[in-house]
Amino acid sequence: MRIFREIFGFELRQQLKSPLFWMIAFAFAAIAFAAATSDSVQIGGGVGNTHRNAPLVVLTWLIVFTLLGMFLITVFVAGAALRDFEARTAELFFATPMTRSAYLGGRFAAGYVASAAVIVAVAIGLTLGAHMPWVDPARLGPTDWSTYFYSFGVFVLPNLLFVAALLFLLATLTRSLLGTYIGVIAFFVLWQVAVITAGNLEHRTLGALIDPFGFGAIELASRYWSIEDRNTRLPELTGILLANRAIWVSAGAAMLLATLALFRPDREGLRLWRKRSKLGESAAPAAAVLRVPTVTLRTDGGARWAQFVKLARFDTRGVLTGVAFLVILAFGLVNLGASLGFSNDIFGTKAYPVTHLMTGSLQSSYNFLLIIIVGFYAGELVWRERSAHISEMTDAYALPDWIPLCSKLVAITAVIVAFILAGVLECMGYQLIRGYTHLQPGLYLSYTALTALGFVLIAALAIFFQVIANNKFFGYLLIVLFLVSRIALRQLDFDHHLYDYQGAPDLPYSDMNGYGHFLAGHLWFRAYWTCFAVFLLVIAALYWPRGTQLGWRERTRIARQRFRAPARLLAAASVVGFCVLGAWIFYNTTVINRYVPGDLAKQRKADYEKHYRQYKDLPQPRITDVNIAMDMFPSARRVDVRGHYVLANKTDAPISDLHVMLPVEWKLVSLQMAPHEVVSDDPIAGYTIYRLKQPLAPGASMDFDFVLQYASRGFRNSPDDTSVVENGTFINNQVFPHFGYNEEAQLVDRNDRRKYGLGPVPRMAKIDDQGARKNNLLCCDSDWVNFETTLSTEPDQIALAPGYLEREWTENGRHYFHYKMDKPILGFFSFQSARYQVKRDRWKDVSVEVYYDAQHPYNVDRMIDSMKKSLAHYSEVYAPFQFHQMRILEFPDYQTFAQSFANTVPYSESIGFIADLRKPDDIDFVFYVTAHEVAHQWWAHQVIGANVQGVTMLDETFAQYSALMLQEKEYGKAQMRKFLKYELDRYLSGRGGELVEEMPLALNENQAYIHYRKGSVVMYALKDYIGEDVVDRTLARFDREKAFQQPPYTITTEFLDDLKQETDPRWQPLIEDLFNRITVFDNRITDATAKKRDDGKYDVTMKLHAQKTYSDGQGKVSQGTIDTPIEIGVFARAPDGKESHEKILLLEKRAVADGDSTITVTVDSEPYEAGIDPYNKLVDRVSDDNRMKVTLQ
Amino acid sequence: MLQIKNLSKTYANGVKALKDVSLDIPNGMFGLLGPNGAGKSTLMRTIATLQDPDAGTIRLNNLDVLGDKAAARRQLGYLPQEFGVYPKVSAESMLDHFAVLKGVTARAERKNLVEALLQQVNLWEVRKRKLGTFSGGMRQRFGIAQALIGSPKLIIVDEPTAGLDPEERNRFLNLLAEIGENVVVILSTHIVEDVTDLCPRMAIIALGQVLLSGEPNESMRALDGRVWRRAVATSAIDDYKKRFTVLSTRLVGGKSIVHVLGDSRPEEGFEGVAPDLEDVYFGQLRHQAANRSTPAAGA
Repeated sequence: MRIFREIFGFELRQQLKSPLFWMIAFAFAAIAFAAATSDSVQIGGGVGNTHRNAPLVVLTWLIVFTLLGMFLITVFVAGAALRDFEARTAELFFATPMTRSAYLGGRFAAGYVASAAVIVAVAIGLTLGAHMPWVDPARLGPTDWSTYFYSFGVFVLPNLLFVAALLFLLATLTRSLLGTYIGVIAFFVLWQVAVITAGNLEHRTLGALIDPFGFGAIELASRYWSIEDRNTRLPELTGILLANRAIWVSAGAAMLLATLALFRPDREGLRLWRKRSKLGESAAPAAAVLRVPTVTLRTDGGARWAQFVKLARFDTRGVLTGVAFLVILAFGLVNLGASLGFSNDIFGTKAYPVTHLMTGSLQSSYNFLLIIIVGFYAGELVWRERSAHISEMTDAYALPDWIPLCSKLVAITAVIVAFILAGVLECMGYQLIRGYTHLQPGLYLSYTALTALGFVLIAALAIFFQVIANNKFFGYLLIVLFLVSRIALRQLDFDHHLYDYQGAPDLPYSDMNGYGHFLAGHLWFRAYWTCFAVFLLVIAALYWPRGTQLGWRERTRIARQRFRAPARLLAAASVVGFCVLGAWIFYNTTVINRYVPGDLAKQRKADYEKHYRQYKDLPQPRITDVNIAMDMFPSARRVDVRGHYVLANKTDAPISDLHVMLPVEWKLVSLQMAPHEVVSDDPIAGYTIYRLKQPLAPGASMDFDFVLQYASRGFRNSPDDTSVVENGTFINNQVFPHFGYNEEAQLVDRNDRRKYGLGPVPRMAKIDDQGARKNNLLCCDSDWVNFETTLSTEPDQIALAPGYLEREWTENGRHYFHYKMDKPILGFFSFQSARYQVKRDRWKDVSVEVYYDAQHPYNVDRMIDSMKKSLAHYSEVYAPFQFHQMRILEFPDYQTFAQSFANTVPYSESIGFIADLRKPDDIDFVFYVTAHEVAHQWWAHQVIGANVQGVTMLDETFAQYSALMLQEKEYGKAQMRKFLKYELDRYLSGRGGELVEEMPLALNENQAYIHYRKGSVVMYALKDYIGEDVVDRTLARFDREKAFQQPPYTITTEFLDDLKQETDPRWQPLIEDLFNRITVFDNRITDATAKKRDDGKYDVTMKLHAQKTYSDGQGKVSQGTIDTPIEIGVFARAPDGKESHEKILLLEKRAVADGDSTITVTVDSEPYEAGIDPYNKLVDRVSDDNRMKVTLQ
Repeated sequence: MLQIKNLSKTYANGVKALKDVSLDIPNGMFGLLGPNGAGKSTLMRTIATLQDPDAGTIRLNNLDVLGDKAAARRQLGYLPQEFGVYPKVSAESMLDHFAVLKGVTARAERKNLVEALLQQVNLWEVRKRKLGTFSGGMRQRFGIAQALIGSPKLIIVDEPTAGLDPEERNRFLNLLAEIGENVVVILSTHIVEDVTDLCPRMAIIALGQVLLSGEPNESMRALDGRVWRRAVATSAIDDYKKRFTVLSTRLVGGKSIVHVLGDSRPEEGFEGVAPDLEDVYFGQLRHQAANRSTPAAGA
């Protein structure tokens, strides 16, 4: 035991002395800290009303970190196993009378404790993070220490035991860190394969048992938990969970025993391939006479270059073959693979792996590891000759100090580039596997160069720190402090890159617009910091350690000696460059452009609300006519606007004050209207109050003419100017003058509001607020307007806006378009200009058009097809289409949405245009999204609701339903289950993310997870119960009654009244449940058996559980009673057939008893699956337990 | 010709490593003899430009070594007392690497040089082997090979024979002897035989001071007739140390032999011996100890 303690203590000291241990512990704690404090890292589902530190969330986090840590912890555990063989101290140990078990046990225990210490650091990071002042206290539960004890006792420590035992065994067997790693990766792959296989076989219990980390078991134990449960409970250590833990702890113990049995203390260890190296001495007789050829020691430029190249190559090779590098590389490539495989999908359909999506994955899931590589290897390389005692010799060589310094920097640079290129190769491989061959090597190269530059700057700083600190650990500490201070400064809204070393604006990329104008600003900042880095490197060269250097004073004396002409010149040039570029950047970012730090922006929003909210209900004239002349200069990034409004007083009283809002980015060149004076002008808020000399009488109109200019100058500190760009300009009418207070501009974050002295988060107007019904959803200063516009742009671009093209011409080398709408539309317009390809088709007398980028032709035909079918279907069942043209217009990836304007749909390049629809089983969401946007021509541009609770049901939910019906017609019922399940799951997770209050569908407050996700499920269920014809009839009636309505605008209760009139009264409770309550079912099948009868038919017996609950807005649950029939289904499937090809044997709605019940049905042929609500038509808390494989008896 | 004048160095912790050291070192092997901690390494490192003295000058054939380190380094070959190698690199490529760093950048020239050096130090047969597998002697020979790159005018070899077996040591010293014919070779050591066997000139240094400098033979002649030897019981050594200037005690066949310094036969039983360099060396050390006021010194 004493020996064990001694070995344990010794090994643990070794571990704790290693910088890698502290770096990993710190990095993990920092990631945990970030995860606990910000929404940008989301693991474990601490979202919505589930507390961020809920027991289940903390538990999941800790397990995930244990899993992630596996790759890095390898260094500790395998290090413990291999240390004596690497340090050649093994013989010393094994010559002592200690037992093998004491030796192995001590080493293992120390590696295990070091690994556990890393997870303790994670726990500290999590706990600290949750208590940071910027975390919303309403989202935190009490800190419950027993959660940590439970997590460590039941999961972290047993999981680590298993992992560490596996690593220890591998390390002992292979005697090589690299071998251990390969083993770990193999294990990972096998484990994933096993879990996925079990998942595919729907063996949930098996899946839970074979998961060494216990995720499956937790999932199984907690899947029916309410939010309340999640905030308070932890899975009980019984049943499957207990069995899982027992299995894997035993497995860990067994591997330890195996290690003990297989361990060989001899030099070679257990080797599968034995290679004996000859260790003979060379002892030839000494040569008689010294004969060494004379050589010239050269000091010219060529020689210096040769020396530099030689050293750089030597150092680069040293890093590239280093185990730490290979380990991190392997980890990165695995992580990248997961990111490539699981990201960029919509409704489960993947996007084409276009190159900029690939570089996006590199950016988000791979490159961050370079921080560790750069930080670690800066220390390793700077001290490489010293640690190996080579410098004892080489320091006396006539080698200038700058050569080793530069070679280290070049080596790190080469490593950075090699690392990124390895990722690039994986991306290219992925693209090819997906059958995508447009690899864009040029884009990969520019991405690599731009990314590498940023990390090289960090490397320069790290080298500088190492040299100045004159001590590896102190150097590491400095670089860690630098990284922490950066995060802290950003949290405190110090976000100008002028004082953020290496900082530069992000560089958004779009296929349409490339790097666009963002590249220039980015590069200026990079040049600025490069100058600084050069200066740092000069200092580093002056202080470069050589020979025996002792105190700081002596080092400074030597540095002075070294500060000769070349160093002086370089230092001066870099300082001058730094200052000049700094001044240039300052001039660009803060003199000719606005720089508003985050806290100031919030302060301004708060001020806006405090000053102007008093005018919220002030009567203002309404815009009735809009005529815009817009000249776009995309290359110069300039737009000139001459606008004409007609304003009408639709109130009963004269209006004397005009409250005009203008976005601050646009300059108001001139304004012309009836005689007036300026009462107040607030250029910061963009809010000006004008007083008309002659008030506008009720019913009277006035002209309002304005000239606006957007002129981009220079570059900015952040890339937020994405609307006017070289190819793909997209402007909407928010940039034009608006009237009255704008509630959209308010601060909405609860914490921010508290911090800036504002009241609770403003909610939407109540549904019975009659005053609020004067405004519709889209615009608060207009109703239906006459619209006309003349656009001009560069000759190779097409400019587009709502309306029909009246005339197109070229004049003065510019391309002109005149659009006019023949009937009033909502005051909501878009203006776009880009180099477009155009595809046209017709549906009846309607022209159907897609304007797209030449690189994205993939799905244009699907869009055309969808538009035509949508127009046909909607005009048949709802109402005639009001326009004679329908267009889709692509815009750059800076934003990802599609939005319906009158006869015009701007559509982001990243959502439909690059969807990969080659697999027939995938959901064709391009068809669907297009159908949805076309449906908005009815549900928004014909019928628009008042801006009160529930309004988005009238446009978004109806558009969802319309598109869903079209999708069903196009792709059949079979795809509906996949689709609805997807929608249901997103609704359920959206509920979890609710911060304020979940509302019923008909009262939703513009909550996307409700009006889209729940809306789809609810409308489909409604249709399923009352019939598609009834729903369509009601929608057509509602459209007939409300289309092109003037205020007061309609509300959801008016629709529900129509619905109840059109529907059989027995469905009234159902309608209540669907629209006016938060109804959640818990339906599942727990057993399904079948017996073949003598007549060849089958009796299928199902054990069912059916339950209906009502939830309040905070997730508190009350019991309901099952009072509507629920669908029961039995399905057959060909051997190896997929679900999409299944055959329905039985599908009918039946009265199902509340709670548990058993049902027997008879079907004609052999059943494969059976279930309750098998198509997920009802909102069900867990969507994937409604079906089950039938067991034949 | 290397001239060292008035070299002094005091470390931050107060240790006086060099006290006004002056030496003139002609071409040929020069032995620098002294006990551990005498300041040998400090002196060697200072000559090798790896450390600056507080005061003093070093000139190598009219070159100011401390003033123009870069030029000095071009004429320098240095084999430090302790040095490392990259264990996974072969001797040949490591030597090639060093040759480039020293400035032998012409490829063909370098190839010939590396080959010749490896032949010279008898590592040609094992040139492909990884340095990590080398024995101590092989490593030292590799070390001298790198020191010889570029035909240095001044070669500094710091304690090279420590830890070598006799055969290795002989081989190594033979090598040094060949080198030392036309250039200055400074061999620092605490092993007296190294100097006896090899060096026409030498200096003894202790506690940062040069105690003696000259030819070994001359120094030994100065002790002619003054060194006496006797076999004594081990238990009586302390008593002898009190009464006489004991130069050394050595076990020979289980008995202690003491060497004592004295102008006449110290007592009955002592016999006169011809002085060797070791007697000179210990004589100098005892002399210095006696001159120091602190009684603990010289232990």
